Amino acid sequence: MKWGNDLSTFVEKFRQYLKPGYYDEFDYHWTMTIDLDRCTGCEACVVACQAENNLPIVGEKRYAQNREIKWIRIERYWEGEYPDVKMGFIPMLCQHCDAAPCEIACPVFATYHNQDGLNTQIYNRCIGTRTCAVYCPYEVRYFNWFTYTWDEPLEQQLNPDVTVREKGVMEKCTFCIQRIRLAKDNAKDDDRRRVRDGEVVPACVQSCPTEAMAFGDSNDPEAKVSKMMKDPRGYTVLEELNTTPSIVYLKKAHAES
Amino acid sequence: MSKISRRDLLQYIGAGGIGAVGGVLYSESIERDVELLIPQVVPPEDYSPGIATWYNTVCNQCSAGCGISVRIREGKAKKIEGNPVHPVSQGRLCARGQSGLNVLYNPDRIREPLTNAGQRGTGNFYPISWDEVLTTIGSRIGRLKIENNASRVRLLTGRVRGHLDELFAQFMGLLGSDHYQQYDFTYPSALKAANKISFGIDQLPYYDIKNADLLLSFGADYLGTWISPVHHSLAYGHMRQGRAGRRGKTVQVEPRMSLSGAAADEWVAARPGTEGLLALGIAHILVSDGHYNGSDRDQWSDVLQAYSPSAVSAETDISEGNIRQLAREFGTSKAALAIAGGATTAGTNAVASAVAVNALNHLAGNLGQPGGIIFNSDQAFSATPGTRQAGMQGILDLVEAMEAGEVDVLLVHDSNPIFSLPDGVGFRQALDKVPLIVALSSFRDETTEQADLILPTNTYLESWGDDVPDPGVGFPVASISQPVVTTLYDTLPVGDIMLSLVRQIGGELPMAMPWRTMEEFVKERWREEYEKRGSADQDFEAFWQAALEAGVWGQPGVMTGDQIVPSGASTIAAITNPASQFAGSETDYPLVLHPYLSASLLDGRGANLPWLQELPDPLTSVVYGSWAELNPATAEDLGIREGDVLEVETPAGSVSVPALIFPALRPGVVAMPIGQGHTAYGRYARNRGANPMDLVSMQIDDRSGDLAWAATRARVRNTGERLQIIKTDGVTRTLGRQILGPKNDHA
Repeated sequence: MKWGNDLSTFVEKFRQYLKPGYYDEFDYHWTMTIDLDRCTGCEACVVACQAENNLPIVGEKRYAQNREIKWIRIERYWEGEYPDVKMGFIPMLCQHCDAAPCEIACPVFATYHNQDGLNTQIYNRCIGTRTCAVYCPYEVRYFNWFTYTWDEPLEQQLNPDVTVREKGVMEKCTFCIQRIRLAKDNAKDDDRRRVRDGEVVPACVQSCPTEAMAFGDSNDPEAKVSKMMKDPRGYTVLEELNTTPSIVYLKKAHAES
Repeated sequence: MSKISRRDLLQYIGAGGIGAVGGVLYSESIERDVELLIPQVVPPEDYSPGIATWYNTVCNQCSAGCGISVRIREGKAKKIEGNPVHPVSQGRLCARGQSGLNVLYNPDRIREPLTNAGQRGTGNFYPISWDEVLTTIGSRIGRLKIENNASRVRLLTGRVRGHLDELFAQFMGLLGSDHYQQYDFTYPSALKAANKISFGIDQLPYYDIKNADLLLSFGADYLGTWISPVHHSLAYGHMRQGRAGRRGKTVQVEPRMSLSGAAADEWVAARPGTEGLLALGIAHILVSDGHYNGSDRDQWSDVLQAYSPSAVSAETDISEGNIRQLAREFGTSKAALAIAGGATTAGTNAVASAVAVNALNHLAGNLGQPGGIIFNSDQAFSATPGTRQAGMQGILDLVEAMEAGEVDVLLVHDSNPIFSLPDGVGFRQALDKVPLIVALSSFRDETTEQADLILPTNTYLESWGDDVPDPGVGFPVASISQPVVTTLYDTLPVGDIMLSLVRQIGGELPMAMPWRTMEEFVKERWREEYEKRGSADQDFEAFWQAALEAGVWGQPGVMTGDQIVPSGASTIAAITNPASQFAGSETDYPLVLHPYLSASLLDGRGANLPWLQELPDPLTSVVYGSWAELNPATAEDLGIREGDVLEVETPAGSVSVPALIFPALRPGVVAMPIGQGHTAYGRYARNRGANPMDLVSMQIDDRSGDLAWAATRARVRNTGERLQIIKTDGVTRTLGRQILGPKNDHA
């Protein structure tokens, strides 16, 4: 085997991925917008994700060791002091960065970028070095320190469309890839080339009681997300790192007067 | 497992890594045209996703009555989402509602009828057959009925609506006992009593937050725990960003910042117990500054005379300028709405406070208007929901009757007074005087543990029923609840159990209640309602099928119909301000205890669900446990750090909990979440944290008969012990990182 040549092929591929607009050539660029002016921090999305993606119940002891697994979580930040104190909530999940630091980190290419602009994790290739979690500036990668079990009969709830992960594997938000897959299958069955806007709804977006989240293909200028992204309140988290996330947040607005 | 040294392990990992890279390169070299490998996270090409079936039913995790859709694969429930066509939830659902799967598949469910074999309170239960248990209860009740002693049978349930409520009522009515009561800790009894005084209508109206421009909430955590959180959240999202160029504003008045307080533009920490007074202060300015010009302006002016901004400012500890500004905004907003709930309606002045808030709505002229208070003039089905809510007074009467030996059989369904009421009520002790306690329950909670016989009920996901949301949505709505999976264990729907008892008891009961199952009963009642409404264009069976599929029936559009606009006279007459009376003297107990409903566990009913135990509390990020919150200044004065175990003591009792320093809490207040501290209720709930109800002094708001659970003073003592509070938060300040958005404001 010619190691040198093949390695350079990979380097070349990664360079391509980093080029601005690379993913626009493909069919979809899955993007999410989260309006922080609507978000109340109620955590409906957190449970929705847990139910949809077979996230384990880690138990009190593991929680105390910071070994919880929550693909989406609500981060909370205080501003000011009593009595002028404010609380800011921000749902934090995998940002599906176009220039994802985690993808460069993995020694076995267990995490990579797919043609839809998703950052995906290949569980059966992951060897658990946890390098990706170190590289991720958003801290949204979760490691299975144990093979978690469900107290019988809680396992009957598990979603048959999603793999249950085992010890030694890194996992994270997939943008509910099983729902994307289902929507694509449905489109194919209907002889449609493309998935319609609003046909793919990840579990968190579906549950959101204030309709703060939107999901869709930002390559489609008519999609709801494309319009939401143009909002002047829009920003990406830790923009200065140039990770080009696929999640655009809309800043909380302030009351007049 | 064999012993592997760290060095060996690293070698194995290294070898695996090289192998994997080799594998990638190998595949790359022979199959150039494939873009890398297919990862397992994407299912293989030949994998065909299964077909899921969705059944619509009704959520029972709180009293909102959201319509839900349950995803079924291979006969198992996989996910719960909001029912998109249901007007309450509109396709959305909160964390508690989605955790309904943990109720259905809970490992600690009661799986068969149980008896304690005469040893009450030991926690030992033995299986017994349905036949035997129903015969025992049936003959006991039947004998009492023949002896004309049926009033010695009492029925206590949790919040029950729809035709199950009617079934219970009919059952007790036919027995000849009028002692059927409901007790739900979260039921807004004081608010309802106040609305009856102000508006003359004995129901909870619809609060149209969606179309409001200014929402002034006095203690009501409308986004987290108050009445109908999902519906309010939908309305909140719309109010904020759903109307181009018109962003609604919210103000929250409460001593401890709740979820709604965090969402609010302004958080006003008035002195606990004076929230109603603040409302009257605002009302005073509304009238004196000419924001209200109704014909009864002079009467308002007279009654509000005493509540000048300076007087109110001194009592509430809110600056005069701030009160004036709130009043100006409230008076000038196109659609201003004021709501009351939480601790504001849990003082000894609960009804007075809620009436004061109603006065604001009167003065804003929002009654019957979009963005105001809409009365549900036309209810689906004639039964008025909530009329059987016992309130605290009803529970006290029951306790008294039990103590006096007037109760022979106590049937308890889905209500846990031992946990959710203060010990001062004496419910637990009074049970000793009751010869037969029967629990109809899915879980062995504290009250069920005291039962002699346990009749295991199906969960709501396995039962037939129906529901009328309370409050309604402004137009007639009724939802059907249907089993989404087959019954898991040897359990029965509670309606079927009651109908079985009807047949056991015999006499005229089976004639009057001939239905075999709850399904039959519900369907018959729906048929009657259908025929009454005179929709003859469709036959009933077709209608029933359609309603079952949709999970809900409604008549939208009636909302703008006749609205009763009550005059202000009754509100004016009812305005008083007895300050909330706190138990305990200020010298002995310098702090005010502020218990609040947990956003995830609610009043404790969610504590047996692992998803909710693992759900970080929205404002503190704490999981699995209890804590006591103190303002940083108060904590510093007392020399308390986070994690110090405190003994929180009140005139009613004491508990030990770790301290948590919480920035958005009024100094001089100690706040504790309700929900933990179970002594039973399964593996996830038991022996975890403390129950603040153990600290609450028995005080009653005499105008509603409701428990004044936010009117107790407390003191804290640092025990010197330490306990780790398990929370997910690390750094809780942005520290200059622009995580919540860039500082240079565009919006």
